[in-house]
Formats: sequence, structure tokens, C-alpha cells
Amino acid sequence: MTPKLCWLDDPEVYRVNRLDARSDHYFYEGDEDENAFVTKENVRRGGRLYQSLDGVYKFAYSVNASLRPKDFYRTDFDSSAFDEIKVPGHIELSGYDRIQYINTMYPWEGHYYRRPAYTKDAGDGAGMFSEAEYNPVGSYLKRFDLDEGLRNKRVIIRFEGVEQAFYLWLNGEFVGYAEDSFTPSEFDLTPYIKDKDNLLAVEVHKRSSAAWLEDQDFFRFFGIFRSVTLIAKPGAHIEDMWAKPVLYGDNEGGFGLSLRLSAAETMNCYINIRLSDKEGNEESEILNVTASKEVAADTEYILKEEKISKVIPWDNKNPHLYKLLITLCDENDNIIEKVPYDIGFRRIEIKDKVISLNGSRLIINGVNRHEWNKASGRCIDIQDMLKDIRIMKHNNINAVRTCHYPDNASWYYLCDSFGIYMMAECNLETHGTWQKLGEVEPSYNVPGSIPEWKGAVMDRAESNFHTFKNHTSVLFWSLGNESYAGDNIAAMNKFFKDMDGSRLTHYEGVCRNRDYEDVISDVESMMYATPKDIEEYLSNAPKKPYILCEYMHDMGNSLGGLGSYIALLDKYQMYQGGFIWDYIDQAIEVTDEATGEKVLRYGGDFDDRASDYEFSANGIVFADRTEKPAMQEVRYYYGLH
Amino acid sequence: MDCIKVIFGDCTLGVQGDREGRSFELIFSYAKGGLVSLVSDKKEWIYRAPQPAFWRALTDNDRGAGFHLKSGIWLSADMFIKTANIEVTLDKKEYGFPAAPLTNDFKSAVEGNILKVKYTYETVTNPVTAVSIEYEINSDGEIKVHAHYFGKEGLPELPVFGVRIIMPTLAENYRYEGLSGETYPDRMTGGKQGVYDMEGLSVTPYILPQDCGMHMDTDWLEIYRKKVLDNTKNEERLSVLRFEVLNTAGAGSLDTAHGKFAFSCLPYTPSELENALHREELPTPRRTVLTIYGAVRGVGGIDTWGSEPEPPYRVSGEEDHEVGFRIVV
Repeated sequence: MTPKLCWLDDPEVYRVNRLDARSDHYFYEGDEDENAFVTKENVRRGGRLYQSLDGVYKFAYSVNASLRPKDFYRTDFDSSAFDEIKVPGHIELSGYDRIQYINTMYPWEGHYYRRPAYTKDAGDGAGMFSEAEYNPVGSYLKRFDLDEGLRNKRVIIRFEGVEQAFYLWLNGEFVGYAEDSFTPSEFDLTPYIKDKDNLLAVEVHKRSSAAWLEDQDFFRFFGIFRSVTLIAKPGAHIEDMWAKPVLYGDNEGGFGLSLRLSAAETMNCYINIRLSDKEGNEESEILNVTASKEVAADTEYILKEEKISKVIPWDNKNPHLYKLLITLCDENDNIIEKVPYDIGFRRIEIKDKVISLNGSRLIINGVNRHEWNKASGRCIDIQDMLKDIRIMKHNNINAVRTCHYPDNASWYYLCDSFGIYMMAECNLETHGTWQKLGEVEPSYNVPGSIPEWKGAVMDRAESNFHTFKNHTSVLFWSLGNESYAGDNIAAMNKFFKDMDGSRLTHYEGVCRNRDYEDVISDVESMMYATPKDIEEYLSNAPKKPYILCEYMHDMGNSLGGLGSYIALLDKYQMYQGGFIWDYIDQAIEVTDEATGEKVLRYGGDFDDRASDYEFSANGIVFADRTEKPAMQEVRYYYGLH
Repeated sequence: MDCIKVIFGDCTLGVQGDREGRSFELIFSYAKGGLVSLVSDKKEWIYRAPQPAFWRALTDNDRGAGFHLKSGIWLSADMFIKTANIEVTLDKKEYGFPAAPLTNDFKSAVEGNILKVKYTYETVTNPVTAVSIEYEINSDGEIKVHAHYFGKEGLPELPVFGVRIIMPTLAENYRYEGLSGETYPDRMTGGKQGVYDMEGLSVTPYILPQDCGMHMDTDWLEIYRKKVLDNTKNEERLSVLRFEVLNTAGAGSLDTAHGKFAFSCLPYTPSELENALHREELPTPRRTVLTIYGAVRGVGGIDTWGSEPEPPYRVSGEEDHEVGFRIVV
């Protein structure tokens, strides 16, 4: 297949040869101790089937596609003129291309006149990004040998996050293309990979049609900003798993499971499914099932729900997890693959228009969280995440909304482990297509009801769901943020409802187009409503339980009046709390051009125009993760319920 | 009980007294419209005459709500003010404004028990309103301060009302009894009552400098200073000046006022904070800017693009406000 630059422009091309999204489980070979690869905080890493490709890459920056080194992926290409860059990282923070912060406006405001393809009179978008004078390209090259543990196996490559569109080659052969900056993209490398001297080539484009869907209020970066990993599959392999723990009553359990398996060559396997305490003690076993199955290239296995008596429910106060261990054996009892996954039993439902968790009314003492580090932007590490967890636990924050994109996978594991309720949001925001200077003006809104935009947003929903479906902490699937409402978002809602009756859907933007309120969002969600607005809704035949997906805009010295919202929790059963906007100031540490001191800068400080300046900093912690003074108020009020 | 000694100068009014053996000296200026000197523990505590405070640096929420567009007049009122009247009363004898040549009649320093000096100011607002700051010094060595804002129909909401005292050098630390952390009227429920020691004069590192460091519901406050500007003194001796609520029953007319006060103790004036777009643009910290408030606008939090703080946390310009405190040498 020949890659085409015009894919950048076409909203109907968002993945080429990219593998279907799958569960984020880890897997190990039979002789590996799966317990050796997990920290006490429940953060896993791979064993010998995994090879990190993070590190130094050869790199070239081009200001637009016509100036990029077009043949750089060829094995005979002379890359001696290339620079070096660290992966993961943002290209802008590595010294190439301008840093820009902008909120609802598209980043080309004032530079390009653009309308999304297939909106009113806009045409098909041909050349919008692929031929733009300014649309930078990062060309990455990496030579590597395959680690011993991955040889002679099927090998895939996993990009955890590449912003915003990229083409991939291995050893001179085109492998695939993907958009969606914040969900993992995997490709099969088996046909092309060698034991020694492989050449990986990744061409990352700053903007594509995906830009219309990624108009989040944040610094606008590009590049490979999350990890890159090679993963080898054992002869028989669990491609995808969906564990379905169920809670009945106070402590009656049920457990079902569906697996998608593959084998390099068709083979008979035994599948053993075991549930026990976290340590895996035999006497703690609550389930142990073995089935035999012929595993071919694509095989389904379903364990129908089994009743389990006496489980300890999972919640914020007691995030009790069980260890699920799935083992694949061959006919001679040789273990081929082991998949451990910690799961919890909990039940989220709406009863009498009130959201309940495990039978009790759910109260959300939440916060919106962008991934941020003052030095490395949205490229954060596990220490940043652990710090965030500690701060949340210390200040009685019990819920987090992943605004407005899926986070680094480790974050979901931490939330399971520490009992943080998650509103897991899809990577979608099209703010500038429907709101201009504060006014609702959806004349060229996407995705709207435009057929050509449906596939891309459905893919975002599917990726979010399939990647994180096993995480106990995910209580809500959020369709996206501030994208107005139309048939396409209704289709996302339907997808989640059809797939997963065990969780609730959330989307605030439907309040801007109430025609869709019966088919989008299980909850009435608003942002920045005043306490009076909330009372008005709840006093007039409310249809749905009410939450604030954003409230208490904590920009600078703020967070006054929290008590008036908390008081509503006692007054209205259907008011169930909200998520403070937001967790951390987005500001970048640079060297002051005047004094040489380290200082924090915000939008507009990089000659970036247009910009929304200091609007990037609305955290309850500063950009260095020290708590703002307002935190004592959060701790007090969030400690009341 | 020693009397206080009052020196009727041609341009100033000097006062010498002591409190429990600790002597102090004050100079009230007629030209500068206020108390230009307070020497306690042989240290000067006043850099420029205390003035009514109307402004606090805008917060992001203030800016979002367009508060500056409605109430910006208080910024200039805070920076520029006219002294309209000065009245001196010693032991119930009313001198009015004791201008020369009246001062020739005194022959020497005068002794007395209760001295009152009242400055009345006129704001540069439209309409104009009056503010008074009254000082009362008695033979117990008490120094009481009371400020009164006269509300006027047509005046916009105030950011704050209080008295600002600028000290010549940067304080080492301060100590207060009140609520933990930085609190505002609509963000103080989480504050815990206690006695707190604050190292240095920290400016909360909001990325865009703005008002900060407010402490609501304070019983007392002590400021600790070492540095002086006096070229003859190079010792680095720690001295303290204490400010406390006027809540005890007493003979003075000011004792009727007030429970707890709010304060902030920063190295910057509101306009210095207002001028900086980044922390690194703030000047080198060199003074102690203490403001004691009787009324403070809340910070709000509903949003940063239009919502005001909730009504109980807004300060009307049409109503009276006051603040009182005692300075303890």
C-alpha cells in the first residue's frame, strides 16, 4: 500500500492498518512470575515479551509537508544530517516549532481561513492540511535489534500517544497510519520485522482533519509524547479480554468473561480462569474454572456469568480488588501465556433518578485532570501520577474526569487501586466549531450529524471503551467535551449503551441542543451552573440525576462559594456533586530571558498568537504540584459527604 | 499612670508616651495627611502615612466579571486621596486644626491623658465621599485606630475597605491568631482556628500576580522586623509590633467598634501586584505592606467570565464600612 498525504485532509481516513483497540492487559510467558512486574500501587510493566522503544531517535523537523524528507523511511536513506530527539516528548518542548496555548479558538485563528470538510459549502477539505504552508512535520528514525524474548514471535508495535497524525514504516515498508492523539495505536510488524538492525520510521504531522476534533483547552503540541513499545505475542494469546464482575445486593457476586484469542498456528488450549485475593493465595480463591478451546487465528471464548457468594465490594473508601489470573496452557500443561488483572466488584446504576453505587447514593467530590508537568507538558511519568493520587486522597477528592481525552494507561490502574471514581472521557472537543466569542453559533459544527465525520468519532469511542473497559474505577463513559450535539454523538452514546450496560454515559454538550437529550447522556450534566440554576432544574420535574462535569473555576485566586454547591447535596437527592475545574495549572517552566532564572510561563509568552494567555492555569495545584491555598477549602467540603 | 506628652509643632503633632515601660513616639503630619512616624523599640515602623485602602489587586475572577470596568474608580481612589480635614482633641479640649500661629500659645510640650487625631479624607471618586481615620492615644500607652467609610449612593462596589500601613523595610516574619492559610469571606470555612507563624512575606505564586495572602477573622497579629533604614543603626535586632482587635470595654469612644479584622501582609502594594504579568516582573521585595481590613470582597468561583461572588461577599459602596484595631508597642 502506498501512503497518501491527502489522508491528512480527509475526515474519513483516521486509521490505516491500525489494529482494533483492545483491553490494556499485560501478558507474560509461562515461566515468568507475573507478580514480579507490578508495584504495590498496582502499576504494571511488561516482562520479556515487551521491548521499550523509548529513548533517543534521529529526527528532522520540517515546517510543512512539502519540505519534509520524503524518503526518510527508506533503508538506504542517508540520515546523517538528522538531529536527535528524546521520545517520548513534545516536539515544541524539544526546541522545534513554537509553543502555543489557545482555548476554544482553533490554533490557526487569524492565520488560516478554514472550515471543516463537508460542513456547509466547505467541500472535501483537500489540501487543507497536506498543502498548508505551516503544518509542521516531525520525521523520526530509530534503529533497533529485537530483544531475545521477542524473536520468532508475532510482534506488534504500540504507540501510547502520538499527536496528531502519523505514518509508520518498518524496514522501508509502509505499515500504517493513525490519528487520535490520546489513545493507543497498534500495528502488526510481524511481516517486516527482523532480529537485527530494524529501521523504524515515524512521520508525525502537527495538524490533520483530527485537529477539528481536538480543540481542547490546552497547549497545542505534536510529536510522540507517550511511550512506544514492541510487544511479542506467545503462540497462543489473549488479544482482548473483558472481565465482567457483577455485584448483587451488598456482597453477592457474579463473574463473566469474554476473550478474543489468537494463535500463530491453530492449537488446542486449556483456559484457566482464577479469582483470588490480591496475593493469589489458594485459600482465598473465589473462582477457578478451566475450559478447553481450540484457538485459531481469531477465536472467541465466553465464560458465562458464575455466581460467587460473598465478595467484598469495591468503592472509594475500601477499594478492594481481586486478582484475576487467566492462564493459557497447551495440551501438555505447558503454560503459554498468563494474564493477570486486578478487578473489583461494584454496581453503578440509576434508581429513582438517583445514581447509586453499590446500592448507596453516589456523591462525586471530583476534579477534572489534565495530564501536566511544567517541564515536559503532557508527557508525564508515574511519579507525577502517584503524587496526584496522594494529593487527591489527602484532600478527600474521590473522583476524576479525564478531561478531555484518555489518559496514560497507568492512571486507570492507580484509580482502581486507590478507589478514585473515573469519568473516562473520549478524545473529542470541537469547541471552536459551535461557540464563538461565547455565543452558541453551530453553523459549521462537527461532528454534528455529518456522515463523513461519524467514523472518526465512533473510532474514538471504540478505542476508549475497548482499552479501558476492564477498569473497575471507570463508572462513567464520557463522550467528549463541548462539541455540541447531533446524530454522531448520539451514535457514540448508543455504542456505549449497547456494549456496556454496567456503566453510565455522560455528555454535557447535549444541553446546548436539547433535541437529543433522550438519546445522549444518562445524566443531566452542566458546567459552571450557579447554585440557583441547579435548584431551578431540580425543582421543575427533572428527568435525570444532575452532576456538574465542571464547576468552581479555580483560575488564580478563586474557589469562593464552594459551600453553596455542597449544601445542595443535602437538599436534593438528585444533585450528586461535581468535578472542580481543574486539577493543575498548565504552565511551562523556561529560563527567563532577562534574568536567567527558572520561571513559569503561560499562553502568549512564546510569541504565540492568537492565544488565551493565563487562562491555561486553573488548577487547585500550581504547575509544580504544590497545593494552592484554596485546597484547604476543598479538603473541608469534600470531607463532608 | 504617666501622662502622654504632646508636642504641638507648626507642621506636625508629636506624641511621646509609654506602655508598661516601653516608650514610643508618634508624629502626625498635617502636610502628609497622616501618621508619618511610629517609633517603637527604637525602630521606625512607618514609611509613609497610613491611608484608607480601597483596592486589592484584581483576581482573575474579578477581571472575568468585569469588576474593574464597574469599580475601577477605586484603584485611583486607593492611590490618590485628598486630606480634607484634621481635628485634634486633647482631654476633651477640641483644638480643631491647631495651625500656626496658634502653636505659639503652648510654650512647651503639653501633657495629657487622651489624645485624638482625626483625619478626614475626600475620595477622588464621582460622587465624592468621605473617609476618616481616627487615632486615639491614652496615658496607658494604648494606640487605637478607627477608620470609617461613608457610603454614598451612586458609588460602585468596593474591592476592600481598610487601612494600609507601609513599613520601611521587609519584615522577617509575622504571627497571627486566626484562620489557617489564605482565606477570603467566601473561602474560609476550611480554615482552622489557631496561632500561625508565617516565615517571610510570601506572595502566593499565582501565575498571574493578583491579590493574595488575605487572612480573615483575625484576633491579633504581630510583625517581626530586623532591618532599619536608619544609617546610624546597623544592628539586626528583632523587634515586634502588635495589632489586635478592639474588643475590650473601655473608656475610649473607639472601643465600641468591631470584632475580628482581616489583614494581609505582603511585600507589595496592590498596584505593584497589578502591574506584573508574571511573578518575575514584581519588584525586589523591600517594604512591608500591612493592610487591615473591615470589608473584603470574596474571590468568587462560579466562573471566570462573568459571575460575581455571591451577594453576601460583595462590598457595597453605598453603605458604611469601618475597621478598628489597637497598635500595641
